[in-house]
Amino acid sequence: MQADVRGGPRLSEIVGFLPLVIFVGVLVYISLNAPNFVTVRNLELVLMQSLPVVLVCVGLAAVVMAGGDDVVSGGIDLSIPATAVLSAGITAQMLSLDYSLLSCALAALLACLVVGVINALLVTRVGMTPLLTTLAMFVAVVGVNNVITSSRRINVDHPWIIALRGTEIGSIPLGIILVAAIVIIGYFAMHHTRWGLNLQAAGGSKDAAEISGIGVNLLISHSFVVAALTGYVCGFFLLARGSGSSPGVQDNLMLEMVLATFLGAAFSPRRVVTMWGAVLGAVLVAAISIGFKSMGVNVFWTGLIKGSLIVVVVAFSAISQRVR
Amino acid sequence: MEPSAFSLSGVVKEFPGVRALDHASLNVRPGEVHGLVGENGAGKSTVIKVLAGVYQPEAGEIIVGGTRLEPATPKTVHAAGVRFIHQELHLVPHFTVTESVFMGQEVGGRLGLAKRQMRQRAETFLRENLGLDISGNRLIRDLGTAERKLVQIARALIDGAAKVVVFDEPTAPLASEEVDTVMRAIARLKEQGIAILYVSHYLSEITDICDRVTVFRQGETVGVFDAITDASAADLIFAMVGREISDMFPAKRHRKTSLGLAVTGLSDADKFTDVSLNVGGGEILGIAGLIGSGREELVDTLYGLRRTKSGSVFFDGTSLRIATAAQAVRQGVALVPRDRRHDGLVLPMTVTENATLATLQDTARVGLIDRKAAKSATEDQIKALDIRPPNADNVTRLLSGGNQQKVVLARWLSTNARLFIFDEPTVGVDVGAKAEIYQLIEDLAAKGAAVIVSSSDPVELQGVCDRIIVMMRGRNVGTLPATGLSIDTLVAATTGAAKVEDLANAG
Amino acid sequence: MSSSATRQNHLVQIFLRFGFLIVFAVFFVLFAVWNPVFLQGGNLLNIVEGSAILLIMALGLTLIVATGGIDLSIGIALDFGAAFAVVAMSSYGLDWFSAACAGIIGGSLVGLFNALLVVGLRISPFLATLSTFFIGSSVQRIFTNGGGPISYRRMPEEFRNLALGDVLGVPTEAVIATVLALIYFLVLERSIWGRQIHAIGMQRSAAIVAGIRVNRILILCFVCAAMTCAVGGLIAAANIRMFTPLSGFSYLLDAIAAVFIGAALHPRGRPNVLGTVAGVLFLGMIANGLNLMGLNFNTKDALQGIILVSALALAVAQRRARSS
Repeated sequence: MQADVRGGPRLSEIVGFLPLVIFVGVLVYISLNAPNFVTVRNLELVLMQSLPVVLVCVGLAAVVMAGGDDVVSGGIDLSIPATAVLSAGITAQMLSLDYSLLSCALAALLACLVVGVINALLVTRVGMTPLLTTLAMFVAVVGVNNVITSSRRINVDHPWIIALRGTEIGSIPLGIILVAAIVIIGYFAMHHTRWGLNLQAAGGSKDAAEISGIGVNLLISHSFVVAALTGYVCGFFLLARGSGSSPGVQDNLMLEMVLATFLGAAFSPRRVVTMWGAVLGAVLVAAISIGFKSMGVNVFWTGLIKGSLIVVVVAFSAISQRVR
Repeated sequence: MEPSAFSLSGVVKEFPGVRALDHASLNVRPGEVHGLVGENGAGKSTVIKVLAGVYQPEAGEIIVGGTRLEPATPKTVHAAGVRFIHQELHLVPHFTVTESVFMGQEVGGRLGLAKRQMRQRAETFLRENLGLDISGNRLIRDLGTAERKLVQIARALIDGAAKVVVFDEPTAPLASEEVDTVMRAIARLKEQGIAILYVSHYLSEITDICDRVTVFRQGETVGVFDAITDASAADLIFAMVGREISDMFPAKRHRKTSLGLAVTGLSDADKFTDVSLNVGGGEILGIAGLIGSGREELVDTLYGLRRTKSGSVFFDGTSLRIATAAQAVRQGVALVPRDRRHDGLVLPMTVTENATLATLQDTARVGLIDRKAAKSATEDQIKALDIRPPNADNVTRLLSGGNQQKVVLARWLSTNARLFIFDEPTVGVDVGAKAEIYQLIEDLAAKGAAVIVSSSDPVELQGVCDRIIVMMRGRNVGTLPATGLSIDTLVAATTGAAKVEDLANAG
Repeated sequence: MSSSATRQNHLVQIFLRFGFLIVFAVFFVLFAVWNPVFLQGGNLLNIVEGSAILLIMALGLTLIVATGGIDLSIGIALDFGAAFAVVAMSSYGLDWFSAACAGIIGGSLVGLFNALLVVGLRISPFLATLSTFFIGSSVQRIFTNGGGPISYRRMPEEFRNLALGDVLGVPTEAVIATVLALIYFLVLERSIWGRQIHAIGMQRSAAIVAGIRVNRILILCFVCAAMTCAVGGLIAAANIRMFTPLSGFSYLLDAIAAVFIGAALHPRGRPNVLGTVAGVLFLGMIANGLNLMGLNFNTKDALQGIILVSALALAVAQRRARSS
């Protein structure tokens, strides 16, 4: 009896580790074929490239942890990338009209909070599924942003924003330090506070949380606001990365965010969406994109590879659930 | 006045068309384990919900620790020190033991949470109060069911304010060897002076652990028994089922007419091995067995819901292929599942839609449903089975348990099924509908169908079946003839207190 | 409770029950007053004609949503339908009818792939069809060397007529959409198959116990939905005499919105064909009306997005009010 109980998880753990093994295998393959891949310079590039995705993944992880990881009925926020683009759009447009950075930042913050609150209300009060809500909000927010920016590219050269990309503190880029700080704060809030544990309980089992007197709907609302805030911060990193706001960034960001977060779930030992998993997923996805680029693989193939990776990883994840 | 940790008196609770509690009363003394028994539908779960403050009763009062709760809401009840150990575990599988114990009542430290303190408190509490020595860092999903149950108990009691603890079927999901673990934990709680209300179907547990027992029948308190012994368990059963016990079951008029089902050496991947059984056309075979005995898995496998590993299944001499439920249905097997709200009915669909789901092709032309024909066929069934309210367009979610069960049955009666499997046919069904369902089962056998009844209710098995096989730890440990079989004997066989072959020889 | 509060409550109830019809009517009147052109027969026909492809896509999606799933790859099926048909004519010189068949077969490949992921590998429909979307988009980029359109100027007249011709004065695409809607109505609302699909969507475990061959039906649904969307692709290709890669995506959100609005209009909240038709016409009316208001492209887009969110919220609130 005991032996059976121990043997079961072990088999599923082996199957469960395959996604990570596949990923590492792909990276090893890349580094063997692209000699310049494993250099400090290049790894820094990978990290810098992944920063916007890491940020939105932190937000998405919060929403999924609060709402449960069933994609259709549980928690998901597809509107975060749109919020990020809105944050970038408002800031860029106002900067180009010579407002101070502070007032730009405040205006963008307000707009992003409105998005988060609307998401929260639609999900907890109206009872729409998060998937439907945030998909529709994605469209609406992108539409509003296109009105604000008139769908054109706006250059930004404000030194503070460029600093996110250029400045280094003790040879580590400022952007990486800031995002690392945000991830650590997020991790602390999620795993070392009462709020975070209750949030996870809400997503893990709604009934269990409610029986323990946890206000599930309030926590779900919080998670959408947190997600909007990560989108808000991400907006500035988008501005820094692209030296301005340009239309159309949101689609790719959304796909990478979903890919990275659910890859992260397949990596995590508890097999659920976690903050570390999402961050790791985001970095690995960026590493693979850059890796294939430095190998000289046609850029059109990367989408195919990413799509296949989701299939492989999610399929293994599903199989390991069954083995259990 | 007698000393009381809590009491309910004169409680009345009505639902549309039903009086679930009719002046029910209950009195639990400090430091005693008080049993609450009754049939399904006797009002046990309603009284728990009233005590929890979830239902507001029409009349009656609730007194906890000498104070009347007015009104009793989940908050006031909790504040008065009443804790509930629900039947469902309500745990998050990927949480640790510590996280689960302190869920919703986390302890803060200087920076964030006092994780180490919480872990130590959880481990100490589990070890000293419940007798479970376990690391607070283990994940719930790696624990056995009994350990999870103890974690659930710890969560309710860790704040130290509990005065009354209500256990609702705490052992239902446990295997027999795990039951002892939970029983020992309850005994420890009693020593600490906590009053315990113990609600269970398992009379052997009740007689083992309870100081006194209250019996409910049809929403009324029909008796309070002191110092229960095995000898008085019979009185308990008599009080529970009342005089109707003999009227409840139809006379057995069916007779074996054909070879029927023959299962030899059937095994699945892990839950049962080498099970053989036969049930002829016109016969009713019972399957007894506790939860975890492989009984449920055996039923599911016979219907194609689980994979077969080895063994053969024949019906009237020809091999049955039951790899999927769809195959089973096409070969004349019908299942009335135990979880009818989940597996039996598509709840948002109407009576007609549900009743005709397996026989759509009979009334269809070029694949299109003849809605008039389907409806009139259903209306005939509604009349024949006395489904109430008699409206074919009602959504099945709104029907009572007994009527829902009849709709499931109506679906299979219009197919030409030869083998009917009933899994817990009367769970959540009121007494009146129960008798009707027993009659329908008898009628099926009388018409020559082979019938299997799998049930956790020994009275039901004895009353309906010809023979009863007993499942234990994944094996068929023997067959008992129902005629002249006493309930105690059947219970003893099911729980492993007596060997089946000895009983069969003696009987 | 005071009587004014009761009355207010009553009004809320009325609005929730008939809300969608009221909104429909308000917009209709608004557009009619704003620009009398809106009411002219020619314009109303425009709405119908302009909604044809969306209706076809939404029908396919209704089928999938009725099974309890979601299909994010309907746009890919449209693209594949167009691509296979255009390439069949331009590179292989097939006649128009064979080319149309080739297009539909091309679309069905997308459905088969979805079925493989969902039924075979048991990946959740959301993640599975998202992967299909990734992979399908990438395949198109690779095939067209980065997303350039494939045009075919000498397209046979018969094929062009799929979009530009008419049957007794009614535009062919409207006729095709109507015929498909009729077939879908019969299949989904009146046939054995439809009843079984609804049963699977509402309570899969009960459908299994009732002896329904769930996997087979799911596979057929994914393939049929993709083939239907491919028909949309044929029309799109006929319209502009070319295959434009990645053009199907633009219909996805509107199709989802139409299906869910339609479900909310159903007394028991089921996805249904008549509701979907109503949802598509609503969206078509909004797009047409906003166009006639002479708004600029960006503003129109943003307004459409906001109306979409509000309409969905209302639809869901209405369904909940009904079921309570």
